[in-house]
Amino acid sequence: MKNHNKTKAGRIVLEIVMVLLSLVFLYPLFLAINNSFKSFGEVMTDVVALPKQLVFENYSYVWSFINYPKLFLNNFIITGLGLLGIILVSSIAAYKLARTKTRWSALLYMLCIMPMLIPFQSIMLTVLQLAKDMNLSESTWGLGLLYWGFGAPLAVFIYHGFVKGIPKEIDESATIDGASGFKLFFLVIFPLLKSVTTTIVIIDVMWIWNDFLLPLLMVNGSPDTKTLTLAAYTFVGQYTSDWQYAMTAMVMAVLPSIIVFIFLQKYIVKGVVAGAVKG
Amino acid sequence: MFKSLGGKWSEKLEFGIFTLPVLICIAVAFYIPFAMTIRYSMTKWNGISKHPTFVGLDNFKQIFMGDTNFANSAWFTIKYAVLYIVLVNVLAILLAVILDMKLRTTSWLRAAFFIPYILSLVIVGFIWKFIFMQGFESLGESTGWGIFGLSWLGEPGLAFISILLVSIWQSIGFYLVIYIAGLQSVPDDLKEAATVDGAGAVRRFFSITLPLLAPSITISVFMALTNSIKVFDVILSLTGGGPGGTTYSIAYDIYRDTFQNNLYGYGTAKALILFVAVLIVTIVQLTLFKRREVEA
Repeated sequence: MKNHNKTKAGRIVLEIVMVLLSLVFLYPLFLAINNSFKSFGEVMTDVVALPKQLVFENYSYVWSFINYPKLFLNNFIITGLGLLGIILVSSIAAYKLARTKTRWSALLYMLCIMPMLIPFQSIMLTVLQLAKDMNLSESTWGLGLLYWGFGAPLAVFIYHGFVKGIPKEIDESATIDGASGFKLFFLVIFPLLKSVTTTIVIIDVMWIWNDFLLPLLMVNGSPDTKTLTLAAYTFVGQYTSDWQYAMTAMVMAVLPSIIVFIFLQKYIVKGVVAGAVKG
Repeated sequence: MFKSLGGKWSEKLEFGIFTLPVLICIAVAFYIPFAMTIRYSMTKWNGISKHPTFVGLDNFKQIFMGDTNFANSAWFTIKYAVLYIVLVNVLAILLAVILDMKLRTTSWLRAAFFIPYILSLVIVGFIWKFIFMQGFESLGESTGWGIFGLSWLGEPGLAFISILLVSIWQSIGFYLVIYIAGLQSVPDDLKEAATVDGAGAVRRFFSITLPLLAPSITISVFMALTNSIKVFDVILSLTGGGPGGTTYSIAYDIYRDTFQNNLYGYGTAKALILFVAVLIVTIVQLTLFKRREVEA
């Protein structure tokens, strides 16, 4: 009994230490939010102190200066279009490749997944050249389309592994019922891929929404096509010492992700783990 | 007979329709640019003149013979990768073991440590730049601790540590959740049996938990390695390669040569070297892990 009490006390101490540690861990984010509500003078005199009064002027200034709604829409278009394409082209191809047992099919599958070994920096210049030649650069739609190819190798890999676990009898009985081709895939197979599709959606949304280098090369030319991260990046370049604006821009750029995370925490963590284990 | 031929044909056609879109997308994103990279790497080109001049393997010779930028950034990347892989995994395992003890606050703790991972690295870099430059000054004044008075971004050694620290801060949540998932697959009765046998916590950790975590460690080390070889975003926003150009990684060095110095041919030659390095590291790793898994 005594021993039991001792471990119980130890647990409470551990619990308190861990909670304190997590607060220290998140303190930088708190400081960023804290200082986004301050005036320039207050930021310069004391970063740690709470704002004497909440200043919302920073937010209205940054909001209109970087045209926040437009940027948000850009992020939304790029991520949405990219995701839709990745899911569509990868799932149908992975399904066909997994079901067709020929040497050809195995070779094409290798061709699909091998690019996972190519670091983006190795091809960034030539991707940009090619995108310019194809009139895909300096456009949010063009960038969204490019993500189809960049996201496909991992998605094909994950889908391929999953389809192999779906019994072939399902295809056969559907064929007897008269479904074939696209109809068979979209009505019968695709719904069975739901869990793995969720995983891919989660990994890819986090990646495309926050991506930096590809958008920097592709859509940084005009304020109309920028993404949230890009705008925050350029903004800091222009306002090197106006930390109150810079921090406001940072908070505004990351806030959508944090809000989504708070609501979908369980799914996001699960998806990230599943993606890592399968990938 | 015609019918069967027709069936074969329609099957082939369907195969083509299903797989062609993805092949086109991947070719545009990877294979065509990759072929262009190989071609450019053997040229001298500033992007302005109409045609690149062919120079054979001169770029590669120059990179390996007398490019101190490349040598320095390669050394930086290796140091960074080794320390990052070791530290992030050790810390994540420690945290995971604590969070696996079913504390009342586990779900809060897991969320708290995971949050930075959902943020863009560039932005994380800027937030920390603010903390290092402005926040530490205030913290130093209010606590009086000397650690806050150091020049965390202004001194080469400290700037390296800062980059390492911020990268770990941003990504530890990812490794943490992988290890937690790994620990949850360790059967509780195995741990209990060991406790009954009188094994202490440390002994239990090293002889039961750690070996059973092997698959998670494999995944995590693999991810940590692939990510750390390509480190770029966080350096760009945190130090910009400074102080005095001491914190350039290979990826950043390629970016500098290509887009800031307009050395298109030379930059792509370096990019090709990075590709080969990543390829070798990946193959070595995969074979090592495969052998270990077969043994286990």
